[in-house]
Amino acid sequence: MASITINNVWKYYGDTPAVKDLNLVCHDGEFVSILGPSGCGKSSTLRMLAGLEHISAGEVLFDETKVNDLPPKDRNLAMVFENYALYPHKTVYQNMANSLVIQKVDKATIDEKVKHAAELLELTPLLNRKPLELSGGQKQRTAIGRAIVREPALFLFDEPIAHLDAKLRAHMRSELKIMQRKLGTTMIYVTHDQLEALSMADRIAVMRDGVLQQMGTPKEIYNNPTNHWVAGFIGEPAMNFLDCNLGTVSGNTALEHSAFSIPLTSEQSQNLLGSGAEQSVTLGIRPDDVSISTNPSEKHSIEGEVLVTELLGGDMLVEAQIEGSRVTVKTDPSYEADMGDQCYLAFDSARWHLFDINTGSTLF
Amino acid sequence: MTDAFVSAKAVFRDGGLVIDEPAAMRNKPLANRFYFYLMMPAIIVLACITLYPFFWLIFMSLHKVDMGAAGDTWNNFKNWTRLGSDRKFVQGWWLLLKYSSLCMLFEVSLGIMLALILNRSKWEKLLVTVFLMPMMMAPVIAGLVWYYLFNSTFGWYHWLMQSLGILGDKSILGDKATAMWGIVIVDVWQWTPLIILIVLAGLKRVPRDQLEANMVDGAGEIRNFFSITLPNLYPFLLIAVLLRFMDNFRFIDAILVLTGGGPANSTKILPTYLFDVSFTFFKLGRGAAIALTLLVVTIILGMILVKLFENPSTTKSSEA
Ligand SMILES: Nc1ncnc2c1ncn2[C@@H]1O[C@H](COP(=O)(O)OP(=O)(O)OP(=O)(O)O)[C@@H](O)[C@H]1O
Ligand SMILES: [Mg+2]
Repeated sequence: MASITINNVWKYYGDTPAVKDLNLVCHDGEFVSILGPSGCGKSSTLRMLAGLEHISAGEVLFDETKVNDLPPKDRNLAMVFENYALYPHKTVYQNMANSLVIQKVDKATIDEKVKHAAELLELTPLLNRKPLELSGGQKQRTAIGRAIVREPALFLFDEPIAHLDAKLRAHMRSELKIMQRKLGTTMIYVTHDQLEALSMADRIAVMRDGVLQQMGTPKEIYNNPTNHWVAGFIGEPAMNFLDCNLGTVSGNTALEHSAFSIPLTSEQSQNLLGSGAEQSVTLGIRPDDVSISTNPSEKHSIEGEVLVTELLGGDMLVEAQIEGSRVTVKTDPSYEADMGDQCYLAFDSARWHLFDINTGSTLF
Repeated sequence: MTDAFVSAKAVFRDGGLVIDEPAAMRNKPLANRFYFYLMMPAIIVLACITLYPFFWLIFMSLHKVDMGAAGDTWNNFKNWTRLGSDRKFVQGWWLLLKYSSLCMLFEVSLGIMLALILNRSKWEKLLVTVFLMPMMMAPVIAGLVWYYLFNSTFGWYHWLMQSLGILGDKSILGDKATAMWGIVIVDVWQWTPLIILIVLAGLKRVPRDQLEANMVDGAGEIRNFFSITLPNLYPFLLIAVLLRFMDNFRFIDAILVLTGGGPANSTKILPTYLFDVSFTFFKLGRGAAIALTLLVVTIILGMILVKLFENPSTTKSSEA
């Protein structure tokens, strides 16, 4: 087992930086997910941890030891590659046994460990096949099996289930999480799929263009995003953003929009005072935190028009046009609406966020 | 003009790519006959230059061939039955196999080593050009160059070997014990570059992710080479070996210049013996029989190598 510390790490390819001044700590036994859009430097980070890529600047510590110059073979970690990287001339069994054979473990122990892992991943009937005779999912499981058999101090997974179909992916998500809990091995898991990160990780590191945006538990990241970009990146369907002005309504600070004017809570006004916010701000509110009604009431006061409805199994999404903006609302399927119907929205002011309109940083 | 227009239109029909078939193809049997006629000249030429001599070779091997007016006479398989008791024939085979395997062993191992070094070198392009020079030389010229290098009175190579204490006074080519090494050295010198070239191409195709996965699995450089690089080079090595081994069986220009098969027949590999029988003693019938054994063995070995081409990674596992 190992804890990982990344201190001010940079990665340059030629003159272009791929990872910029990254600081990250992963505790012993923790499941940390690195999340970000394609090309943000996730794989580069992982490859530096594995020792496959030179670290341009900064240091990486495993426990208290600096490993910058340690070759991959001496790092005691296992990696699952984005494209499996199985050995085509070896059988599934030999692929999984490879690391143990290199360590000169005796045959009986290898056999036991490989068979055990195969059992876990339902690969037993395929042990004598070669990678070319496997489906994508089977290849993936073989690659994971190869990592498990190793019993390393650290797992590095690079989008291991990105290429599977949706159902198998959902299954593998929970399997991987259970497996990691059982083994108690520190895990760094790279993905561009927020659902994977949110559902599996103990903590998530959100990256964008090589820069770490936020590090925290899935709840923290979902509920308290540090900036406009993270707020928009996390959550499905995405958060609604509305540009508003700050005004005063009967002595209280209020959000002014052409469609509404809602006072902030006193706590929120307090927060704003300290932040030196300007006149204009961006309001962010998740579709879950907007409610909709067919009739106007004191609560449902924002008037709008239904543009489209979308049934998602147990939920329904309504896209409504209010004056000057569009708002997505998540409601339950019993809500009856047709295109063009009048509707009335209410925002849950306890759960909304304000962002600086220029810097994008979160005001509260 | 209109035809081109019609077919161009057909290509864009339905928005998808529709290949417009020529009229001759629509009527299959007719089309086949049409193409067959087109190929006739090529087939006839090919038959004349390869098949005719082949059958003529078989014919010769069954006759006592006389260059004079007497004509060829049937001799009851004597050309063939005498081969078994022909010591030089048996020894020729043995020497050929020895020569060929020695060449292959050194060329392949040296070729791989040099390719690995070149592959990592900054000056790869320049070095490859330099390394390829021996290959550009006509084998006869290469033979002559080395003939002088090996010369015991003024040969530079001989002097070097002698001062290193490896050779005695006798020239490497003049001694029964070392002459075989002499011709092997020349072949290795001239043809290792070809192996380098092929292996270098192969090295560029070794998947990097497999090497990396193996490194993470705990493998060092050497292990990585044997368990990932080498298996991935396998098809490339097969091509190289196939080419070299067929050449070893056919090309004797350099050997004829260097030793002519001597001293005391110590380098009389089968093709040189064949040359003697046919063109020194003009026993063309016996020569034909020897040539046919060479041909058959070459074909069989070639077929075995081609069979091995089915890369282990692409063939299905035996079980499962
Ligand atoms: N070997 C390389 N040479 C040059 N540039 C590279 C190299 N590898 C990656 N990059 C660049 O570095 C940036 C980060 O790449 P990286 O592979 O880390 O992205 P990623 O987050 O893993 O993306 P994805 O989700 O698509 O896998 C990209 O802009 C990429 O073009
Ligand atoms: Mg990647």
